[in-house]
Amino acid sequence: MPESKLKLLVIYTLAIVACFIVVFPIAWLVVSSFKTMFQIFQIPPQLIFQPTLDNYQRLFFGGQLMNAFTNSLIVSAITVTVSLVLAVPAAYSLSRLNNAVGRNVGFWIISVRMAPAFAVIVPYFIIMYYLKLIDTIWAVAITYLVFAIPFTTWLLKITFEELPKELEESALIDGATKTAALFRVILPNAVPMIASASILTFVLAWNEFLMAFILTSRDARTVPVLITALSGTHKLDWPIMAAITTVSMIPAFLFITFVQRYLIKGLTMGAVKT
Amino acid sequence: MREEYKLLLPAVCVLAFLVAAPTFYLFYTSFLRWFLRDPTGPTFAGVENYVKLLQSSDFAISLTVTLIFSAASVTFSLLLGLGLALLFSEDLRGKRIMRTIIVLPIVLPPVVVGFTWKFLLSSEVGVIGAYFMRLIGLGNLSLLGDPTLALVSVIIADIWGKTPLPFLIFLAGLAGIPSIYYESAKIDGAGSWQIFRSITLPNMKKPIVVAAILRTIDAFNSFDVIFVMTKGGPGMATHTLPMLGWKVGFYYFDVGTASAIGVILLLIVMFLSMPLIRSISR
Repeated sequence: MPESKLKLLVIYTLAIVACFIVVFPIAWLVVSSFKTMFQIFQIPPQLIFQPTLDNYQRLFFGGQLMNAFTNSLIVSAITVTVSLVLAVPAAYSLSRLNNAVGRNVGFWIISVRMAPAFAVIVPYFIIMYYLKLIDTIWAVAITYLVFAIPFTTWLLKITFEELPKELEESALIDGATKTAALFRVILPNAVPMIASASILTFVLAWNEFLMAFILTSRDARTVPVLITALSGTHKLDWPIMAAITTVSMIPAFLFITFVQRYLIKGLTMGAVKT
Repeated sequence: MREEYKLLLPAVCVLAFLVAAPTFYLFYTSFLRWFLRDPTGPTFAGVENYVKLLQSSDFAISLTVTLIFSAASVTFSLLLGLGLALLFSEDLRGKRIMRTIIVLPIVLPPVVVGFTWKFLLSSEVGVIGAYFMRLIGLGNLSLLGDPTLALVSVIIADIWGKTPLPFLIFLAGLAGIPSIYYESAKIDGAGSWQIFRSITLPNMKKPIVVAAILRTIDAFNSFDVIFVMTKGGPGMATHTLPMLGWKVGFYYFDVGTASAIGVILLLIVMFLSMPLIRSISR
């Protein structure tokens, strides 16, 4: 075999092995969500089995399980909406402000984004405790804003910078104010960017665990909190756990195809040029 | 006032309200002797919380676990990320779909990453923990029950979940190296190792630093993946600093000491991330 063919073979083998290592754990969990308790406990594990929808039925008709999904959806939706309303004008402003004020505000915003969640959650817990807001979705949503506002603002700021200045210049020459230019020219051209930023913010809120875990106990539990609570029980109900985790992965599956281009921006806050 | 400032003001005001006051409050409460459920309320304690904390063996153990966990997870995720990025900078058929697959774990909820691995490694039902371990004759060994193996297990789960971050960063970094560098090196007759040493690595300095900082911050904050898998156990084998903070503050309701842990974490993380924050906001 010539050397280049051998090299190709090695490269493809390694790439496929890497994909397998990523896919197998996820696929195994999804497959197992269609098993009964008896089937899940079978050793050696069965690849061919009579699938059941039992776990999903229990999931959708079990009150506390659906409750967690509703909570997660509402909290994530509030977080995205409020951060967008504040972040769009702020991001536009930062992307056009080329002075010390803009840089200092930017520095502060990123610092907040990088702060450890645990340092934020301690004072918030005490405050929410005295406001009697513990175990409400409001406590969770407000706390999420601490990270979501800087995240969305900075992500939109670096994407707005890519919009050509000529876009708004003609509007400004025609006597429009900056605010009018934002709404008339920038926004219509930035719809895909804003959609991607919203999706990433949504995933961020949907996935968050530590803060929701500390702020909720029963009624306002989000999906990650429920998963943790159930996976800590002594007699673990593996099939229903597999079903819950499978459903909780849906946003990730849906969104990974849409936001790949923005993912690296969101994860590194623009530290890496693409 | 310039119009830009007016557009900026609402976000800045809300964020200041949400961030500034709680941060000062965190520093303040770290100097209080305060059990939230205790009716006597807080009393000023000076640096007592810090002194007791730094002297406690729980803190020493948690710090050690955090350091081992972070060092291992960061190192291996960076090495794997670099290897995968090099692999994917070749012309592969089906590259897009494979790249999407590799990236997937980073958008999964970390709690799900933890549970996925708990499910694989469990000595009750796990394909690896129950089936494979019996196949190789180690059936009596519990991957999540043995202190050393549990730490290795949570590190592996974390690497699995976080490698996409350095992978994406390095992929972008590699794409940014002008191909003419490689061409001229090949004309000069350089081997692939030489090209890697003298062209790829020097040009990847910034992406490597960025990935290392982001991963280190993330590892220092590690809570969710570990909590689902082991709850910090067995014993304190996988007990990280945020987990100590959680136990002290929200299990024993000693919010003074929990605040002190919060301050320490805040200082460590801010120290680590300062160069990155400067370079991003420049």
